[in-house]
Amino acid sequence: MKSIKKLIITITVGIGAAVTSCQKLDIAPTNIVTPDIIFNSQDGVKSLLATIYADLPIEDFKYRPDGGDPNNGNQRPGFNPGNPWMNFYNTAAVTGEEIGPFGGMDIGGGFGYWPYGDIRNVNTLISELPKHTASLTPATVNSLLGEAHFLRAYYYFGLVKRYGGVPIITVPQDPGAQLSTLQVHRDKEQATWDFIGAELDLGYQMMSETNDAGRANKYAAAALKSRTMLYAACIAKYGSTNFVDGPARAQGLVGIPADQATKYFQAAYDAAKLLDGHYSLYNQNPTDKVANFTDLFLDASSKENIFVRQYSLTLNINTPAGPHSWDATMSPGRMTSGGLSRSYPTLEFVQLWGNLPITNDDGTPKRYNNLLDLTQALEPRLRATVYFPGETLRGLAFDTQRGIYPSFSGTAAAEVAKAPNSRTWQLQTDPNVLYPSKTDPNAKQIIGFTGISNNLGDDQLTRTGFYVRKYINYKAAKTDVDLYKSTQSWIDLRYAEVLLNRAEAAIELGNTGDALTQINQIRDRAGATAYSSIDLTKVRNERRMELAFENQYYWDLKRWRTADVVLDRAHFKGLMPYYVFNENKYIFLAETELFNREYTFQKQFYYEPIPGGQINQNPNLLPNNPSY
Amino acid sequence: MKKLINIILAGIVILASSACTKTDNYGGPNASFQGNIVASTGGNLLTSSGSTQIKLQEIGWTTPQTIPSKFDGTFEDTKLFKANYKVIPTGGAFWPVYDTLTIKIDQGTKHDFVVTPYIVIKNFTSTLTGTTLTLKFDIDAPVAAGMPTIKDAQPYVNTTKLVGSGASIRDFSDVNAVTINKDFIDMTAADKSMTLTVPNLIPGRTFFVRVGVRLSDSFNSSNFSEIVQVDVPK
Repeated sequence: MKSIKKLIITITVGIGAAVTSCQKLDIAPTNIVTPDIIFNSQDGVKSLLATIYADLPIEDFKYRPDGGDPNNGNQRPGFNPGNPWMNFYNTAAVTGEEIGPFGGMDIGGGFGYWPYGDIRNVNTLISELPKHTASLTPATVNSLLGEAHFLRAYYYFGLVKRYGGVPIITVPQDPGAQLSTLQVHRDKEQATWDFIGAELDLGYQMMSETNDAGRANKYAAAALKSRTMLYAACIAKYGSTNFVDGPARAQGLVGIPADQATKYFQAAYDAAKLLDGHYSLYNQNPTDKVANFTDLFLDASSKENIFVRQYSLTLNINTPAGPHSWDATMSPGRMTSGGLSRSYPTLEFVQLWGNLPITNDDGTPKRYNNLLDLTQALEPRLRATVYFPGETLRGLAFDTQRGIYPSFSGTAAAEVAKAPNSRTWQLQTDPNVLYPSKTDPNAKQIIGFTGISNNLGDDQLTRTGFYVRKYINYKAAKTDVDLYKSTQSWIDLRYAEVLLNRAEAAIELGNTGDALTQINQIRDRAGATAYSSIDLTKVRNERRMELAFENQYYWDLKRWRTADVVLDRAHFKGLMPYYVFNENKYIFLAETELFNREYTFQKQFYYEPIPGGQINQNPNLLPNNPSY
Repeated sequence: MKKLINIILAGIVILASSACTKTDNYGGPNASFQGNIVASTGGNLLTSSGSTQIKLQEIGWTTPQTIPSKFDGTFEDTKLFKANYKVIPTGGAFWPVYDTLTIKIDQGTKHDFVVTPYIVIKNFTSTLTGTTLTLKFDIDAPVAAGMPTIKDAQPYVNTTKLVGSGASIRDFSDVNAVTINKDFIDMTAADKSMTLTVPNLIPGRTFFVRVGVRLSDSFNSSNFSEIVQVDVPK
């Protein structure tokens, strides 16, 4: 009896198990995100877009033009480097806008940027979106597609400005396809720029007027088009006279025929004009132009901002949108609670605005009662871009001083030409040391807390007398200024650049009237006097002054093909303030920056080499760019 | 115990005899390539560090390698793999060579490349007056038409015989450069006869000196004079 019971139980359990099991083996895996999940909802598409935006080659605060520290984990050289706090490794630090931590022209060869994985994400988006009009609505799909075209153009712009022509891939490649179809050839440089122009046209046509902050709208596409077409035009015009010869050039993989220049200048001009009336120069504080130009980079509501990247304290510091460290790495330790600075504006850059009034007509240094007096007559935009000696940040003065002269006679030029050991100056490494002695009632500090130290191995205080002011968040309390604590947005496209693009294209096309109008708009906002006439040099210098430290000038030098002339064994100077003890006055001497580094841009750097690893995978990328 | 030892020994014998029976049959990098870069105007092309080089591309491979020229215009690399290479001289101040040469490089392969320099420096003299060195020379161009613009001329001063661009004392060398920025065909006879001065040399020292004329070619490269020794008296 007992055994029958057992048997019944066993059979019941067996049947029960058999009936309930193996219903469906081919259910969709629940731990893998399938296309349907992503593309059938706005939120799904947004999550993919977030990835695409995060990987976008925006040369922001954290961009390291030399690639940077070895990537840890998911980080990648250049746009999301390891140790992303070292914001002083910027392009300004090799071009003479600043001098910085680079030993010379250390960025000319690039870092092997090759974002075809990211481009594949966009290609997937573009091929999938049209299949989901039912769930997303046709209008949404249309504007998302426009955004995708903008993003794809942005990635290809990151490639073409480095390598010239690259393979244009517009559909997701099938990894199972034959090797011969996967190993694509490079397209011509001109075809690549044309592709970018066409993509941005689609972006402009399909996107809507507004979008979430941090995402592109149709005007971002037009603004980027004005930038890219200006690059293409200059490569056609100037690259046809200053170039390195080689097979890649003979095949059109680098270089654009000179007769194409006008077409691209016109395209840049037309694209810039599309923004007329939709954006304006930031002018919230027209009575205080210094404050206005400072706030332009901090006010998130600025009508000048076209496309920005935002940062958040809540995100991991090793992600592109995690907090940056601009405040802690552009100002000296005195004004911060952590971090250190290593990049400093040069005197050559500052003198774009004209020579500083530091010498009298007889060649002797002008005497000043205090440091700040030097800045009184300067253009507000210059003061808002660079911290001069004597300025104040967070209640603390830049007391920058190179040393003390017990007395000073003769001309500035004669003093600077002397051998260092025959100068009668007092120098120091410690700001607490007083001259003539600690007990003297009139004792003065030999150097300031913000520099300039005579410790020539130390670059954590200024080497030129200046500090960067642009983008510095002066409102942050000192206790809040530390590494990974800054969240002011990076303004990737702003209206001032569009006006400058337009002015440059106009003057190249011979339309001086329009160029003058645009430049004077910029100058008026900057607090500069208006020009009555205009030429190409003035337009280019205006661009340098307005867009300084925004990672633009390096690419401008390249597209103008002047980098090898401007940076030909170049050395840069600083403005060294001294205290003359017996006169109780300050003087300023223009002297070589403390490290006296040399910067030479070789002509081959107008194009970076195609990454060797990619050539090994795909020999069809050969020939490599000239001279590599 | 004896059995155990025997087993172990047998094991070793079996493993030793079965392992590594294939010898590495790839040749080591025992081929060499050497020669001269000869100027068409006579003699070797005088060069400096980081300028003239021989570019080699092993056929079937994608990454080129280079052999830098020595200062006297010779080159040598004794650690190459035996194979067929495409070779071409590049990087220096001579008219570009477009015809790559395909050559089988083996032990002791020799080849001389003939190039046409942009500029030839002639009648190079140096006179020392006190601590000021005066350098005089004439320049000539074998082919004047279509030549790159001449950027500048400068002395190169160093304390060793290795002197040239990238191997010189800046305060005596780059600082004393003279800007020219002219095309050779626009230069007068007086322009082509140049004088450079190096003031304030240090008494009691020996210096090695040469002059260079720099062109705005693809490499901003220079043609150099021969190197002279200058002893500054105490």
